[in-house]
Amino acid sequence: MISFSQVTKRYPGGHEALSGVNLAIEQGELVFLTGHSGAGKSTLLKLIAAIERPTSGMVSVSGQNVGRLSHRAVPYLRRNIGLVFQDHKLLFDRSVIENVLLPLDIAGLERREALKRARAVIDKVGLLKREKANPVSLSGGEQQRLCIARALVSRPALLLADEPTGNLDAGYAADIMAMFRDFHQVGTTLLIATHDDRAISALGGRTLRLDHGKVEEVAA
Amino acid sequence: MIGWLRHQKHALSAALRRLRAQALTTMLTALAMGVAISLPSGLYLVLGNLDRLAGGLPAQPEISVFLDVGASVAQHQAIAARLRQPDIVKARFVPRDEALATLSAAQDLADITAGLTENPLPDAWVIRPHTASRDELARVATDLGKLPGVAETHVDSQWADRLQAALAIGHTGVWLLAGLFAIALVAISGNAIRAQVLARRDEILVSRLIGATDRYVRRPFLYLGALQGLLGGLAAGGVLAVAGAILRAPVERLASLYGSAYHLLPPSAIEIAAVLGLTTLFGWLGAWFSVTRALHQVEAAR
Repeated sequence: MISFSQVTKRYPGGHEALSGVNLAIEQGELVFLTGHSGAGKSTLLKLIAAIERPTSGMVSVSGQNVGRLSHRAVPYLRRNIGLVFQDHKLLFDRSVIENVLLPLDIAGLERREALKRARAVIDKVGLLKREKANPVSLSGGEQQRLCIARALVSRPALLLADEPTGNLDAGYAADIMAMFRDFHQVGTTLLIATHDDRAISALGGRTLRLDHGKVEEVAA
Repeated sequence: MIGWLRHQKHALSAALRRLRAQALTTMLTALAMGVAISLPSGLYLVLGNLDRLAGGLPAQPEISVFLDVGASVAQHQAIAARLRQPDIVKARFVPRDEALATLSAAQDLADITAGLTENPLPDAWVIRPHTASRDELARVATDLGKLPGVAETHVDSQWADRLQAALAIGHTGVWLLAGLFAIALVAISGNAIRAQVLARRDEILVSRLIGATDRYVRRPFLYLGALQGLLGGLAAGGVLAVAGAILRAPVERLASLYGSAYHLLPPSAIEIAAVLGLTTLFGWLGAWFSVTRALHQVEAAR
């Protein structure tokens, strides 16, 4: 589903985040991406979602060369990818349910169907009672669950999560990881960047370690 | 197609919500636009009224039609019949004897006319055509000149020419002003929308990350600009209505002093629709420039 071949990403100023990375992730896999902060985990995820473009090499997602995608085609790629951010990126000028409705509005889904889907996914992350609340009133863990709900509402085949449990205490983190395991079981491909070893050991699955811009497979 | 309509509806209602949420800003912007637009459209109305006033003045251009001295009775009758047609408002026959008598009565000319052995003046018609435009006057004069029994026609159009020239300058001025204020409108709208785009930076960035196209992001702002322009046009209508109400009484008083029942003419429905349509268009245009530019800035600053 995802393949990197000789991918290098150099930022303006000369910092090389990734150097000649090769990797392949199959459909339905659950993959952890670890490494110290600044090792290039976020960069790798951004390359997949075409938020950044590789300096050289090829990034391909579902057979599309993402690095060469035209500006117009990028939105349609992103509609098939759910993104979970460490800082949630929620909109605080609207309610919980409206945050979740945003991807469906963008996709042009009919309102009633959209509401039905949004409620279902909010229920799944346990926030149904708060659907009219402003996200500002939610705890950190609830905000992260809301972010996950928004990422999943358009039923993407691929979910990318960047430090999803980074700011959460252990209880919340375990909740979130359990949720990811459920999605994996229904066939979603997950790529989770984290340095939370407890989470990795709790879920199991393939682990890639990034170090100085290189990727190595970690034996389970 | 249905998805497209849904997007339009969604963007329109989002724009309306935003206008309502910032009622004061919306009103101030509309007022700024309204004052700007009321200048050219007010001048346009004043000129329209002047045009009408000029049409109603007694000092209308006249055409003198001089007949052949030897014109037959039948030709006289044919000419008289032609002058009863609707493009002629008024026609007065001046027999040659009357013309000579008038001439003699004029100061200093009695001596000269007394020395004449016969009347050198032809019979004539003095007519006032329906139109005041120069081209039309010339056409009517040529037309009449071709009638059998007519020796010569003379258009007394100097006054009309001058009025036409003055009004033409006025009309050019209206378009010039309208052009300038259209630019002002685009600038006002662009500025208002730019502030909106920057205020909604987070929403734009997040929408981009979850698959929003340029059009999706741009659409509510374009609606916002168009609606703001429409409100500006309505405000201009309000400004002009107030100005008209204030001016009506003094204008009618002035007219009554001249013994006329002149009334200020309000704009027609088509003119109102045209102004509203144009302000909407220019509001949209300003929003388009602004949102395109601001989006680049927002995304570059990511």
